[in-house]
Amino acid sequence: MLIFLLGYVVLDWASYIHPLHGLNITPWNPAPALGLVFLLRFGKTMLLPLALAILSADIGVRHLPAALPITILLALVLTTGYGLIAAVLRRFGHTTIFNDRYGLFQWVVIITLGTLLNSAVFVGALTIAHLIPYEEMGYAFLRYAIGDSVGVLVTMPVLWLLIDESGRARLRLMVLQHTVLWHLVLTACALWVAFGLGAQADFKYFYVLFLPMAWAAARQGLTGALLSATLIQGGIISAAQSLGFSTVTVLEIQLLAVVLVLFGFFLGVVVDEQKRISVELNQTLRLAAAGEMTGALAHELNQPLTALSAYGTACEQLLEQGETGACLRDTIHRMVAESFRAAEVLRRLRDFFRTGATQLESVAINDLLHAVTHSFKEKAQQQQIQLRIDDVPACLVCVDRLQMEVVLRNLLSNAFDAVAEQVSGTRQIRFSAQVEGAGRICICIEDSGPGLSAATAARLFEAFQSTKSSGLGLGLAISRAIVEAHGGQLWAEVTGHGVFKLLLPVESEAHHASA
Amino acid sequence: MQAHESRVFIVEDDASVRDALSLLLSLRGYAVSPFASAESFLSAYQPDWRGCLLLDIRMPGMNGLTLQQHLLEQAATLPVIVMTGHGNVESARQAFRAHAVDFLEKPIDHEKLVSALQEACSQQNQAQAEIQQHTEFIQLLSTLTPREREVMDLVVAGQHNREIASALNISARTVEVHKARMMTKLRVRNVPSLVRLSLFHS
Repeated sequence: MLIFLLGYVVLDWASYIHPLHGLNITPWNPAPALGLVFLLRFGKTMLLPLALAILSADIGVRHLPAALPITILLALVLTTGYGLIAAVLRRFGHTTIFNDRYGLFQWVVIITLGTLLNSAVFVGALTIAHLIPYEEMGYAFLRYAIGDSVGVLVTMPVLWLLIDESGRARLRLMVLQHTVLWHLVLTACALWVAFGLGAQADFKYFYVLFLPMAWAAARQGLTGALLSATLIQGGIISAAQSLGFSTVTVLEIQLLAVVLVLFGFFLGVVVDEQKRISVELNQTLRLAAAGEMTGALAHELNQPLTALSAYGTACEQLLEQGETGACLRDTIHRMVAESFRAAEVLRRLRDFFRTGATQLESVAINDLLHAVTHSFKEKAQQQQIQLRIDDVPACLVCVDRLQMEVVLRNLLSNAFDAVAEQVSGTRQIRFSAQVEGAGRICICIEDSGPGLSAATAARLFEAFQSTKSSGLGLGLAISRAIVEAHGGQLWAEVTGHGVFKLLLPVESEAHHASA
Repeated sequence: MQAHESRVFIVEDDASVRDALSLLLSLRGYAVSPFASAESFLSAYQPDWRGCLLLDIRMPGMNGLTLQQHLLEQAATLPVIVMTGHGNVESARQAFRAHAVDFLEKPIDHEKLVSALQEACSQQNQAQAEIQQHTEFIQLLSTLTPREREVMDLVVAGQHNREIASALNISARTVEVHKARMMTKLRVRNVPSLVRLSLFHS
């Protein structure tokens, strides 16, 4: 409450430049934005504090330009106007910041129309109170309307973000990134070009300010755009103050600024929407994978369970027949082996599930391949399989390391099975990787096994399609889902030997995609 | 214990499941022939095999339902019990349309398995008996004279002695003699059982 009062007065004071007749008709009027945000957050109880704030600003900042009763009356008029705007916003569900294009559009329309109407009423009241001459009424209306709407449009979203717990967290997260520093530098440069160089050239370099705005919005979405808007607006106002712009110039620049800011918001909202969609898609793929996993669990556990229960019944039968010797012991031994097999199935499946959310990190392809092959080294030696990794380009990919390892391990164990039936000495598995065009890398796993027929290759990635007697029939379906969630592709090639190819975006590309 | 001549053919790709079921069923007194795939079973299959086929659906290569279809096309009489890890309505429907005796879900309830095996065996025995009866009847039919055969056809068609007599242009008395001899040869006691037999084996 006190914070609100103080904040309102400070904002009013900071924006009290180029006043008209010593009234709060200024080219930039951000204080109502604070009022609106608090009204939306705390409801009607904020109406009285708002009126008090307007009044105290008039007393504190402008030293009471009119008689007290008239000032009180004017404060009430303004409070009613903002209250109505807040009510309309609330009616359309804008209690928190817009998060899509439609919401942004609605908000802009409501604010613009609302402030126009409010200005008309306020300026009308001022004229009636003879605080401004009748002939200046049109000009005063124009100035007040522009100042008010620009102030609200530019400031309100940032305040919205600040008043909200999650918004503050978003902002904090962004400010902590080192790119913010570069952003500040770029904005400062752009401001210097626009006003330092541009002051003599009738501000024709104003468009340079679009650069930092576009960058921030594209990189960090709406939050970035909001921060950028605040910075640029601050810059414009301080430039206007320090360079002593004329009132007309400030008004013109304000109109440009509002276009710039709305452009930034729009871009930011679109970027956010795109990001949200890609996250949702990722989630869906993950859910699909989980669904398939459940099916796999049921099936794959069924085999050892079936064997276990049959062995168990057989043991009972043996006992009934008075058999307690080697046969019984052998059967029990097999039961133990089956229970281990069931545990192994669970362990493999848990690997798929282990990460709750995809955690992307930069991983060198080379490290990834070595980490995966390392655990297979011993097995390869035992089975006399020649396992090697060819020269791999030093290239980073942005992946969830664990998930990608699961995919590669799955492909590798498929390859092991494929070569198992060959004469020893000819068993070979080879990893290779090369950069494909357009910033992608293709990892290739080849084995000397018999390869796939066209018919098998086509159905290979469907769930429950297995050419192995002990396979999940799902490993490849899941692997493909994981790879596609990373923006890559996984497919098998029909040749004389086994070839699987995995296409992944390399990191610089991945960066672009996530920006 | 179950009759010793009953043989169970197990077609199951999973070595442990195959082994466990073989052990269990052999302890129950069945003779067991395990196969690792549908293909190996088909190539070994002989039409005179008796017993019962215990068949897994999901196998690499030819699956169980396809094998069942193949057997059906070959008019094999071997009763089939289908088992599966993830049963659904469609596969159950397909199995039963191909005359499966039972459809068991893994892990298998062994009581159900045993009763299904018994049912399969009795089904096979019944089928066996019917086939035997059929060949017998065909044999008996061949002992009839042409005239007796004519009389039989007309009797089965529901005609009375008088009508048969006029149709064959013989006396009613002669029809009666032919009819009596025909019934003795075919070892039937009355006309309804004659009709039933001839309809059944036609």
